[in-house]
Order: sequence, then structure tokens, then C-alpha cells
Amino acid sequence: MSERNKPSLPFESSEPAEQALWQALADLPQAEPPARLRRGFYDELEKADSRNLSARIRAWLGLSGKAGWVTAAACLLVGFAVARIGVAPDTSASDRLAALEQNIAQLNRELVLDRLQDDDPGTRLLGVYDAGGLAQHDDVIAQALLVRASQDSSKSVRSAAIDALGPQLGSAKVGDELMSLLENAESPIVQLALTDMVLRNGNRQQLDELLRLANENRLHPDLVRHVKKSLGSETI
Amino acid sequence: MQAVSDEQLIEWVAKGDSSCLGTLFERHHRGVYRFCLQMTRNPESAEDVVQEVFMNVLRKARTFRHEGTFKSWLYNIARNATLGYMRKNKRHAQMAPLDDHTEATLVDHHSAERAAAGAQKINLLEKALARLPEHFREVIWLGRFEFATFEELAQALGCKTGTARVRMHRAMQQLNVAYAQLNGDPSDV
Repeated sequence: MSERNKPSLPFESSEPAEQALWQALADLPQAEPPARLRRGFYDELEKADSRNLSARIRAWLGLSGKAGWVTAAACLLVGFAVARIGVAPDTSASDRLAALEQNIAQLNRELVLDRLQDDDPGTRLLGVYDAGGLAQHDDVIAQALLVRASQDSSKSVRSAAIDALGPQLGSAKVGDELMSLLENAESPIVQLALTDMVLRNGNRQQLDELLRLANENRLHPDLVRHVKKSLGSETI
Repeated sequence: MQAVSDEQLIEWVAKGDSSCLGTLFERHHRGVYRFCLQMTRNPESAEDVVQEVFMNVLRKARTFRHEGTFKSWLYNIARNATLGYMRKNKRHAQMAPLDDHTEATLVDHHSAERAAAGAQKINLLEKALARLPEHFREVIWLGRFEFATFEELAQALGCKTGTARVRMHRAMQQLNVAYAQLNGDPSDV
């Protein structure tokens, strides 16, 4: 929006000099914020996000709030179990511990997959946050996240799933799916998440593709400007 | 394509989708930066305040009540953050002119426009504006560049509509006086 077209109050004064000054104010120079302001903001936002995520995980594990005593009791039980294994003459104790850990990991994985398919968008969102860390080493979870990213009825879940898949943009399968999603996404929120992800993690080819979509005005107008500016093909 | 409203976006932020704050930032950070720069008269301070403003928006998203527009709520946060910053850093709170570097940047950026509009007049107007107290500078800047109604302006300033009208008229009177003083005294230009 040019400065002259920006909103302005219908200021009226019986004093012509004041009226003239009001008109002249429109010609005052308007400074452009430095690029580092945007970078700083997104860094802060990321930090705030990770703080929220860790708080959610602590709450989920019962390390905070009223469920704390449940965690304490569970730790006590695990302590007893480990102690029993430790004093038992059985030499396969470490194997049993490893098996236990594997069981826990498996249960955790199933919990994440269940959450990703829950009817409640809030629970699916929680599943997406939990799945983010697992997707890199687990194709099934990555695939489930892709389904959330492309088909979920909630824009927030779609957007969060895209964020979670960001680090895997380099993988051929996930990368192709996400780029095709970008080409077809209609929601500005989803477009924003995809654009942001490609700008952060995309390779040359993906950045070129993003620029092509921007040049063809197939993204939200705010994003078109943002992409062109970020990729240096337009002076605003 | 219909753009999602600011009010809808802040609702999503309040529900935990902080990625929507990015869209709000893209839409408003230029205006907020310019307002903060006008108030602090220092680019680094303005940057710090803008960061603080948007992090405050994230923290306070749940307190947005839809009683006014998101924009007036945002500028109310920006105003409080700016005034708080200026109180903490009193040397920036003085009505110092923009430093040479900033002024040069602004002149470069709009050199063609300035030549056409009369560089001297604009220069004087900037200096006159910088001489005004904060509460007059903010009402003029927000009224001229950000809000189209006194109701919204009043919400941003945290006062009643009538108060905003009165303040605007007084501010413009003061600006007129400051401008006339500068114009009549060439040594000050």
C-alpha cells in the first residue's frame, strides 16, 4: 500500500494552515524496517514455540501440575523394577531393560499414530507436535504427518504438520509431496506455513518453484510480496 | 482469494497456533516500526520495541476481546511498549532529531518524491513534528498514517473518542506553531 493511500482520519480544521500541514504530512518519508528485524522476529517466535512445546511435553508426562504425584509414583515403580533387575542373578538383565525400552518406544509410537487420527483437532494437533521428532526416522509417522498436512480439516493441524515436516523437505518423497501441496493449497495459513518452510529449508529447485508460483500470483498477495522480496527479485 | 482477517488470525494464535503470528507480523510490522521510529527517533530502539510488541501480542493473544479491531489493540500494545521503553531509556525519550545516517537513508529512499513535494517544507515539517511532546506526536502519526476513524484511534490510544478528537486538534495547533517558528527563523532550518 503506498503511503498516500494509507488510511487517514478525516481531519478538518477552520485554520487553513493546519489543513495544509495535515495534507503535507502525507509526504513525510517512511523508513523501511531492516531485514534483520524479520529474522529476529522469526527466531524469537521459534524460541517461544519450543518453550511452549516443552511445557506441553512436561505437562503430558505429568512433570507439572496436579498430575505430578502420578509421575512420582510411576518413577518409584520403575525404580523398584530396575533395582530388582539389578540385583537378580539373571545375566540377561540388560536385554530385558532394552526390551522394556523398546516396548515403551512402541507404545509411544502407537499413541502418536492414534492421536494423529483422533476426531478432535486439538488431540490431532498434539499428535503432530509429538510426531515431529519421530518422523525423521520413521516412514510410517512421516506418511501419517503428510496425510495431516494435505487432508486435515483443521487449518491449524495442516499448518503444524507442515512445520513438523520442514526438516525433511530434502527427502525426495516428502519434498515432492509438500511441493505439490504448495501448488494446490488454497488456505493462506497453509500457504504461509509451506512458504515459510521452503524459504527455510528448500533447495535451489524448490526455491525456484516457489518463485515461479509467486510470479504467477498463485499465492496470497502478502506472500507473493514476501517471497519476491526474500528471494530478491523485487524491490518494494 | 479472500484474506483471513486479523481478528481470525489472533484467535488462532490464542488457541496455540503461533504460526499465524507470522502473518500478522508480515501485515503490520512496517507500520509498527515506523510508529516506533517516529516515537523513539532511533532505528535500533525502534527494532527492539517492535520485537517486544509482537512477543507481547503472542503472550496476550488470549486477552484480545473483539471489542475493537486487532489493529487498534496492536497499536495500543505498541504505544505502551514504546512509552515503557522511552521511560527506561531516557536519553532516547528526548526529542532528538533522527541521526545523520537515518536521515540520509530516508532522504535517499524518497529523494524523487521529496524533490517534487518541496524538500525544504518536508524537512521543516519533520523537525516541527520532532519538537512536539510524545502524546501529540503519537496522535498525529497514528491519525495520519494508520487509522481512518477517531473510534479506532481512541482505542489505540486507550482513551475516549472525544479525548482523541481534542488531542488531535491540540496537536495540530502545536504543530502549526512549531512549523511557523521554524519557518520564520532560517537559522533553525
